[in-house]
Amino acid sequence: MRDVVVIGAGLAGLTAATRLMQQGKSVALVSKGIGGIQLGQGTIDFLGYTPDLIHDPIEGINQTVDDSHPYFHFSADDAASAAEWIRDLMGNDLLVGDGHKNYRLPTALGSLRPTALPQPSMVFGEPSGRKIVLVGFDRLKDFYPDLAAENLRRQTNPDGTPIKARAIHVDLEVREGEVDSSAVQFARALDSPDVQEELCRLVKPHLLDGEVVGFPAVLGLADTNAWKRISQRLDHDVFEVVIQPPSVPGMRLNERFTRLVKSGMKDPGAIHSIPDETGVLASRSRFILGGHVIGFDTDDDRVTSVTVASAGHPTTIQAKEFVLATGGFEAGSLAMDSHGTVSETLFDLPLHGVTDEMINGDYWGEQPLFRVGLKVDEQMRPLDTTGQAVYSNLRAAGGLIGGANRWREKSGDGIALLTGLRAADSIVSAGAIDSEEGSKK
Amino acid sequence: MKTIDADVVVIGGGSTGAGVVRDAAMRGYKTVLIERADLAQGTSGRFHGLLHSGGRYVVSDPESATECAEENVILKRIQADAIEATGGLFVTTSADSEDFADGYEEACVNARVPVEEISLREAFKREPLLDPGLKRAFAVEDGTVDGWKLVWGAARSAELYGATILTYHSVTKIDHKDGQVSAVYCLDRRTGETVRVGCSFVLSCAGPWGGEIAAMAGCHDVEVVPGAGIMIAMNHRLTQSVLNRCIYPADGDILVPAHPVCIIGTTDHKAGNADILPIPQDQVQQMLDAGEEMIPGFRKSRAIHAWAGARPLVKDSRVSAEDTRHMARGMQIIDHKERDGVSGFLTIAGGKLTTYRLMAERIVDAMCEQMGDKRECRTADEAVPGSTDHRLYTLDRRLNQVETETEAPSGQQIICECELVTRKKLLEVMDGLTDFNLDDVRRQVRLGMGPCQGGFCSSRAAGIAHELENVDAERASELLRNFLKNRWIGLWPILYGQQVRQTALDSWIFLGTLDLEHLPEPATEVI
Repeated sequence: MRDVVVIGAGLAGLTAATRLMQQGKSVALVSKGIGGIQLGQGTIDFLGYTPDLIHDPIEGINQTVDDSHPYFHFSADDAASAAEWIRDLMGNDLLVGDGHKNYRLPTALGSLRPTALPQPSMVFGEPSGRKIVLVGFDRLKDFYPDLAAENLRRQTNPDGTPIKARAIHVDLEVREGEVDSSAVQFARALDSPDVQEELCRLVKPHLLDGEVVGFPAVLGLADTNAWKRISQRLDHDVFEVVIQPPSVPGMRLNERFTRLVKSGMKDPGAIHSIPDETGVLASRSRFILGGHVIGFDTDDDRVTSVTVASAGHPTTIQAKEFVLATGGFEAGSLAMDSHGTVSETLFDLPLHGVTDEMINGDYWGEQPLFRVGLKVDEQMRPLDTTGQAVYSNLRAAGGLIGGANRWREKSGDGIALLTGLRAADSIVSAGAIDSEEGSKK
Repeated sequence: MKTIDADVVVIGGGSTGAGVVRDAAMRGYKTVLIERADLAQGTSGRFHGLLHSGGRYVVSDPESATECAEENVILKRIQADAIEATGGLFVTTSADSEDFADGYEEACVNARVPVEEISLREAFKREPLLDPGLKRAFAVEDGTVDGWKLVWGAARSAELYGATILTYHSVTKIDHKDGQVSAVYCLDRRTGETVRVGCSFVLSCAGPWGGEIAAMAGCHDVEVVPGAGIMIAMNHRLTQSVLNRCIYPADGDILVPAHPVCIIGTTDHKAGNADILPIPQDQVQQMLDAGEEMIPGFRKSRAIHAWAGARPLVKDSRVSAEDTRHMARGMQIIDHKERDGVSGFLTIAGGKLTTYRLMAERIVDAMCEQMGDKRECRTADEAVPGSTDHRLYTLDRRLNQVETETEAPSGQQIICECELVTRKKLLEVMDGLTDFNLDDVRRQVRLGMGPCQGGFCSSRAAGIAHELENVDAERASELLRNFLKNRWIGLWPILYGQQVRQTALDSWIFLGTLDLEHLPEPATEVI
């Protein structure tokens, strides 16, 4: 029997699993598919809008919210230490910032999106008064630099002066004869120093003195320092602009995080963040990707096992504790049928925020449907309508928890991180209480 | 003020207006068509896409049935590119009595509508998902017609004959002097400029909006009652032929495979205002139930869009019931000379998309008669631009085009993956329009009409639009925002199942990753 089964390998699930392993728990991390990190923008956001722009996202989580919001259970200190935890775990080549400032970084459309912990390859995009030049790739259909640059010019620098931005185009061929290469294909090609050099050769002649150079966020996938090399070769500051999915920055985070979890499972001593002394337990952990959970067993108020559809036959995994981190409607873990009935699709847990009018006919209006989700206690245990935990050993984390408008608020990453850590920590501390009680007896 | 001189002004750019402008232009009249929005943005673009065989009407209205059967053949000849010859079935499901089926074949023969009763085995071979309790099946010549292609085909043909097509122009005034129509004034909604079109004849083909137009010429109390109906598109072709319930016409009795989707329709309820057509939840449920009766499991498939259209039904107490001279069944012509003393002004309403060409022929005949002109109608013989090769549309056409036009794999950018819209095609359409919004483009190439409903293609389309000379970033950004807003109108009423998941992802992209909401607002409204 394992200590904990974590279901879902998005930011919330990976966070909970890692934290549990760091605390000496054996974990089975079960995921139907690759988690949602690579659908996002590849930064860690805590809070951008409420709906006014938030300048300090970590302090912001206190002022934001009523008791229906997931942040209600967390303090600014919790958020600050979560930010530090994820930044240290991912490394300073992938995440920067302390969470007390919202960077405002250009998107592919030229809007300035607030984010708490960006990738270092993005931070020079923040308007600073310097001239910006955006580079488009003719063979990449997801970035239109003229549109983004002109939209930037409609906005201002922090000092109130209009942003100066222009666009150039280069024809970088990353696969022979192909004019419709994906962001991922560009990124893989740009892992190669030769292609990096080719890009610089194409771009360099167009640059003017002092310009900051923005590229679509495809500057290397495995090579997280590709942007630095390109910057050095161009002798200009360089930044990446997030485009629609597939998200290369998201893939970088996802690959780093999953590799870390897997290697921690194999050889805990090899990873700085998973301490040696827990090696025995961590090595009993497993990552089951492609494991679709299709059922579960209970005993009284406890979940005892989950059943996973695996090749040939279903597998039953027993554990003491369970963390459900399967995401929201976007992941299929919340669903609405043709009669308008919403449900949590695995444990059929009670949902909060359900009303007769959950869908707003105005696209730009508030969409109550996307606030629907679980309501949890301090330990992240889903509650029923009377406010009691549905199962004493089942916790939830991430987008499954209702009450937030994650995309509009830019709060989804912070919620995943905070709830994932809390779910793990409350398991650990509950376990400590158990063993204390045991020793007293 | 801009001025244009013409013989005939046609008001309304639906199928009737487009048919009329083509017919009048082909007969040698200098003709101008005025449409307040895009062509076929009203009723003609908001139907289920059925090209009638006539089979629907053989019992209730045999004369219409015969007309449909004849026009079905003509349209396949002159507008092949807009039509897929899917064939159709009239089916008696386990929920239906066989009473209607018993007399059905004879009624078809009497109305000269080709029909053949087929064995259940044959029916299941054609349509494996049909209700296993199927009792009877009759094969007819139903097809699928793309209303936008049909209307644009007629309009392009009219342009070749010298007609002027003014879209996004609202009629503001119809002048008449001494009881004779003299000019139509309209407002270019995109530039704000007023245009005066001098003319001696006005044909109002404004459908449900016909009453408002008539009032502008001082002809009051033309009451058009919009009969509204909803349609729902499902993400797959659950059927390859049109399915009709073999019963007296009822709600939700037709399932039409159109392009890569299939469409169930329709309901019928009185709408107070043709500009505001709700998609009521009870009607959505009614359509899903009806689909379930023909195709068990229908509810479980993915609904991707819904819309409502308004049939124009004229109620006019002042037209004498005997005056059926110019009336085809289901179509009415009001001669305002007799009715209101305004000569050179006819209002046309009613009718069916399948018989749009025939209606146009009759109206223009009526106009010629009033003018004392004798000019022959030629619209039945000449194919419209895009259809001159007489090749009927097939579902695999786009894929074939992409594959044959492209030397290397991925040698063209596919901007809308759902509907296989290439960058080249998109630019071609944008170039062909004087000014456009992304919905105008969508109606021509089906941009954003697949399962992602614009999630991945619409910001690309905005970026490509912005590359054109007259579209600045403010406009391009607003085109994108409006497109998403408009897609949502047809999405939210049928939001369930897999489409909820897609919508969540799309919201993640636009509201989350791209933060489209926080781009600066436009200074002026973008139309």
